[in-house]
Amino acid sequence: MSVEAQPQPAVLDRFRQLRETRFGAFVPVLLALIAIWIYFGITEPAFISSRNFYFLFMQSAVVGTLAVGITIVLLLGDIDLSSAANAGVCAALMAVLIVADVPGPIACLIAIVLGVILGCAQGVLVAYVGIPAFVVTLAGLLGFQGLMLKILGIQGAINMRDPFVRGITTIYLPPAAGWVLAAAVIAIFAFAVLRNQAQRRDRGLELDPSMAVWGQIAFFAVVVVAAVATLNSYRGIPLLVVLLVGITALLGWVTTSTPFGRSLFAAGGNAESARRVGINVRHIRVAAFGLVGLMAAIAGIVGASRYASVSFNAFAGGPLLLEAIGAAVIGGTSLFGGRGSVWNAILGALVIGSLGNGLDLSGASAADKLMFSGAILLIAVAIDAVSRSSAAQSR
Amino acid sequence: MLGTIENKVGQSAPPAHLAVSGIRKSFGGVHALRGVDFEVARGEVMALVGDNGAGKSTLMKVLAGAHLADEGTFFLDGKEVSISSPHDAFDHGIQIVYQDLALCENLDVAANLSLGAEPVKSGWGFLPRFLRPIDGMAMEERALAAIDRLQVRTLKSVRAKVGGLSGGQRQAIAIARAVGADSSVVLLDEPTAALGVAQTRQVLDVVKRLRETNHAVVYISHNLKDIFEVADRITVLRHGANVATWHTTETTPDEIVVAMTTGLDDGGNNVR
Repeated sequence: MSVEAQPQPAVLDRFRQLRETRFGAFVPVLLALIAIWIYFGITEPAFISSRNFYFLFMQSAVVGTLAVGITIVLLLGDIDLSSAANAGVCAALMAVLIVADVPGPIACLIAIVLGVILGCAQGVLVAYVGIPAFVVTLAGLLGFQGLMLKILGIQGAINMRDPFVRGITTIYLPPAAGWVLAAAVIAIFAFAVLRNQAQRRDRGLELDPSMAVWGQIAFFAVVVVAAVATLNSYRGIPLLVVLLVGITALLGWVTTSTPFGRSLFAAGGNAESARRVGINVRHIRVAAFGLVGLMAAIAGIVGASRYASVSFNAFAGGPLLLEAIGAAVIGGTSLFGGRGSVWNAILGALVIGSLGNGLDLSGASAADKLMFSGAILLIAVAIDAVSRSSAAQSR
Repeated sequence: MLGTIENKVGQSAPPAHLAVSGIRKSFGGVHALRGVDFEVARGEVMALVGDNGAGKSTLMKVLAGAHLADEGTFFLDGKEVSISSPHDAFDHGIQIVYQDLALCENLDVAANLSLGAEPVKSGWGFLPRFLRPIDGMAMEERALAAIDRLQVRTLKSVRAKVGGLSGGQRQAIAIARAVGADSSVVLLDEPTAALGVAQTRQVLDVVKRLRETNHAVVYISHNLKDIFEVADRITVLRHGANVATWHTTETTPDEIVVAMTTGLDDGGNNVR
């Protein structure tokens, strides 16, 4: 390594080492989130109320869902500019179907299938035809916006009264159920971590320090308890939060703990290496775009439910796409591929949501909000670039 | 058939594990290989040397199935086999370590060593294989075993990201990956080209370990000092054809250099 050859500020080295650890990638975005909360908590006392946190979670849901999807193509080193428009198309189709008296659940399912097909189609163009993802999805962005207008018809908006779709964002778990859920999740997490440690000891493998093991469990428990307590003191845990955390957990597991997820990271880190060990990088790419399409469709449904309508402006042309990409990047997912996590996308969405929410409360103008968001995004990408340069130097 | 090889090595050569004969390969009008014979035995390090453009890398890629030979036959333990794709080569236990290593720097050592063939936990048969949970501990054990076999002592943890390793460690990991996959033939393309003295030493030790573990090792290098240290035999190519094969103990670096640059006369003597 070039550490001896080129003495660098120790702080920077420590920071890079931290980023390389398993949970280290969470730290910068978590610190950013806490800093933002403390700042607005002091300047705008209303920010810290449980009611505001509830709105914050709900506002961030659509951005977070999209960001989780976009993270998956970012891991490959690609980008998807079309996912917000894709979400709009899926939401519009669902709305039209519901207006035509198709039952809500079936309309949602059809919308999800459409989202996956649109995603996969773009993936095929990227992987097999060889068009850069930026161009394919830029064309998708424009085309899907047009498609959405076509589906919505002249009025440009359809109201959403279907109880199933509305229920996604209006149903809450009773506080008791919330606590039971929290206890179950913490118990499962602790069990998994401790069993892993015990098995490692039995097999004579290198062990994590027990401080780290118990620290993980304690940290996880504190976060879960704090979140549940906050949400319970307003109305209870929204079903939406449970759904999104569940989906993110599933995708997080798929991306980190299955051969498919490993191929995703491998193809993003070194596509040639992945190809040589027999990974079909094209299939992986199509599947990744399909997953983005899936998440886009879910985001479309969530958006329709939350706004109680499907309108062109809510999905297309607006800042939704840029906020979602920003959330993924702020979460620490590298635009260069091969590094990131879907969980960080959720944290990134909360950072963007908190910033918008806090600035709204403090009566900032739209101009201020835009400039603040830009600055935060820039800082996030700078962190990525700085922590990446260590790998580039030692090559 | 193996005229030049018999000529120089004769009965003392060990029985070949992998042997090819009459390999021809053209790229458009360029004849990269003009009927090359080559062989390597188990427990032997065969060096492949030649000036730039002599056809070393082309021959290596033909052996690894990355290039399809226009003509020529492949024998594995005396039996004729066909190698027309990297997959064929893999199935026959032939593994190549390219100069650029092709490791994923964003993954840890264990993940790199199992890449593309991750062990999965049992009991998840209802899922397609690519969605079953990876058995991370079995993967680490596999990595530790591979590292142990090659006696890579400087590596602290198989959970370290490859991006943070030294050049020699990476080379060792790349070799371990090739060996881990149940291989009998390991092709190494310039493994020490970009390395310093200590790192080179580490890699040469790994190559020697490969010989001790009864692998057939093909070693391409420009560095004659390294070659005379690790190789048992040396095959010299020139202009896409065999010059000759020598036992390392029966030749000198000077003789090899002359063979590389000017070839031999008809009597098998160096052309001066």
